[in-house]
Amino acid sequence: MSRRTTRARVAACAAALTLGLAGCAESADSGGDAAATDESGPIRIGAVLDITGAGASLGVPERQALELLAGQLEAEGGIDGREVELIIEDNQSTEDAAAQAMNKLVSQDQVDVVLGASRTGPSLAMRPIAEASQIPMISLAANAAIVEGSEWVFKSAQNDRVVIERMVEYMADQGWTTIGLARDASGFGEGVQEIFDEVGSEAGISVVAVERFAPDATDFTAQMVNLRDAAADVNVIWGIPPAAGLAQRAYAQLGITTPVMQSHGIGNQVFLDTAGEAANGLVAPLGRLVVADQLPEDDPQREVITSFIEDYTAEYGEEPSTFAGHAYDAWQLAIDALREVGTDPQAIRDHLEGVQDFVGISGTFTMTPEDHSGLSKDALVLVGVQDGDWTLLPDQGA
Amino acid sequence: MVDLLQLVFAGLSQGAVYALIAIGFVAVFTVSGVINLAQGEFAALAGLVAISAAGSGLPLPAAAVVAVASVAVVAVLMERLAIAPVKRMTTLVSLILTLGVSTGLKALMLLVYGPNAEGLTPITPGGVTVGGVSIRYQELWILAVAGLVALAVYWFYERTLAGKALRACAEQPVAARLVGISLGRASLTAFLIAGCVGAVAGVLASPVYFTSWESGLTLGLKGFVAATLGGLVSVRGAVLGGLLLGVLENLTAGYVSTGLRDAVAFLLLIIVLVARPSGVFGRHAEARV
Repeated sequence: MSRRTTRARVAACAAALTLGLAGCAESADSGGDAAATDESGPIRIGAVLDITGAGASLGVPERQALELLAGQLEAEGGIDGREVELIIEDNQSTEDAAAQAMNKLVSQDQVDVVLGASRTGPSLAMRPIAEASQIPMISLAANAAIVEGSEWVFKSAQNDRVVIERMVEYMADQGWTTIGLARDASGFGEGVQEIFDEVGSEAGISVVAVERFAPDATDFTAQMVNLRDAAADVNVIWGIPPAAGLAQRAYAQLGITTPVMQSHGIGNQVFLDTAGEAANGLVAPLGRLVVADQLPEDDPQREVITSFIEDYTAEYGEEPSTFAGHAYDAWQLAIDALREVGTDPQAIRDHLEGVQDFVGISGTFTMTPEDHSGLSKDALVLVGVQDGDWTLLPDQGA
Repeated sequence: MVDLLQLVFAGLSQGAVYALIAIGFVAVFTVSGVINLAQGEFAALAGLVAISAAGSGLPLPAAAVVAVASVAVVAVLMERLAIAPVKRMTTLVSLILTLGVSTGLKALMLLVYGPNAEGLTPITPGGVTVGGVSIRYQELWILAVAGLVALAVYWFYERTLAGKALRACAEQPVAARLVGISLGRASLTAFLIAGCVGAVAGVLASPVYFTSWESGLTLGLKGFVAATLGGLVSVRGAVLGGLLLGVLENLTAGYVSTGLRDAVAFLLLIIVLVARPSGVFGRHAEARV
């Protein structure tokens, strides 16, 4: 647990104690339990993040973003005078630890909203608990399966489907029709091939070879050799750093010159550091955050993104990643709901489902009962890597 | 054919890392009967120390030396504080003890170096393509240095008095003590060797395979399997076991399924323990080094 949480907790305990005493004095006429439930005491937000393990390069900036935002809110005096307590749990990038942490947050800490997890697998493990205990949950992960048909679960990262739509558009423009796919073997990569085939069918684009790698894999020779033999028009590496960066490096090392596209799972400095020169020339659909300085003046997200980057950089001395952005969006969506409707879970859920034109870091959210992700392919821009840095590709319709 | 060569080559360099870690297991086990589950952590720690030393401006060779030296100190401390004080050391007690040390080291690395995986700068960046097979220079370094270290350890056991004393302890502990060889000193030397080879493995592997606080677990397990292929008592067996394991893993990943890569080691372990518990390469001697 972080220091800020501890501090927040001590403060919360003190507050609870005071309130408890006040409650005792009043209990004669108010009928007891009212103080323990809803509209008083601190508001609790739980977060389950992949802080250690394969998802560390996602979870760490997410934690930093949440702590930054919690600190800012604390300085503002909370929501309607109520303190907001942030409880962060590490799921060690595993499904079972994510489920455990989710259970603890829901039953022991009695949080009002849960944010997380960072990756698809752990998020899927948390989903049934959110549904059963009827606590709103906002995942920071990509796979659309997390929110498909869900009642209580939302997500702040762009769906894999909209990412793939963006990629297929680009492939069609380039005249590529065959894809060699090397994908993450965990939840993040599940279903990617099927979506490519489905979305690409109109343009005659299909996947001709699939290789898998574990999210914590370190050697990619075998997969890349097989991709080379598949001789597709374009190869897609679908993973998160550092694995995605190491794969990119192995790819360049084997001297494969076929163009590479990567997913939106790579939007952080760790990827650039890991892949090094090998990343030059690749194209990926990413959130606008990584190219904030290259956005046109009239971009609706520009202001939100720029101020987040400033705050984050001032606090941590490094630029935020797109993952920090997913955490920012989930936090702001939750806070917006809490401000508007208080802590009744059903009201929060209904409010989240009705979110319209909510400008965040990863895009502009418009949720519907059918779509709990709220982002379309306009949330992504095509970004290339040149000389070790992100470059916004010109001529984008959006 | 090019694919086969590529997979075999990548497997050899990965296997060389396993081999070094396996030597560490063998060095400690033969002398004291201790199975040191913290062996993989030696490698992870060395990688992390080297990365942070290089990050603070030390030139690469100096960072490597600092890493190996600090891990050697950790290994010696571990022997003095956790192994030597135990009066009746059995293999079971050693497993529990070293598991404790391993967990402690991991927690410490997580606290100090954080959860992210990082890679050391390669000694020589880049690579070369020979007959369609792409070779990273770092892989050549891994093979060369691992080969030299393995030879040095072998030479130490076969040709030097101290090495022969260690072998005597392994083969006949009572007789060794009768002729004045200190078992405590022998155990300390064994841990020193284990720490050094583990650290060298960790520093060499870091640029290609990356290091994090938890990368010691996999390395340790693979190294243990490699050592077991050689019956846990032979340096030569450990080296061959490591190379064999590396190549088999890569061939499985390339031709069967990448998901089975990590299963190879444990399938091998089961087969060897059932069919040839004294090791694939071992003759029937119980205590060889």
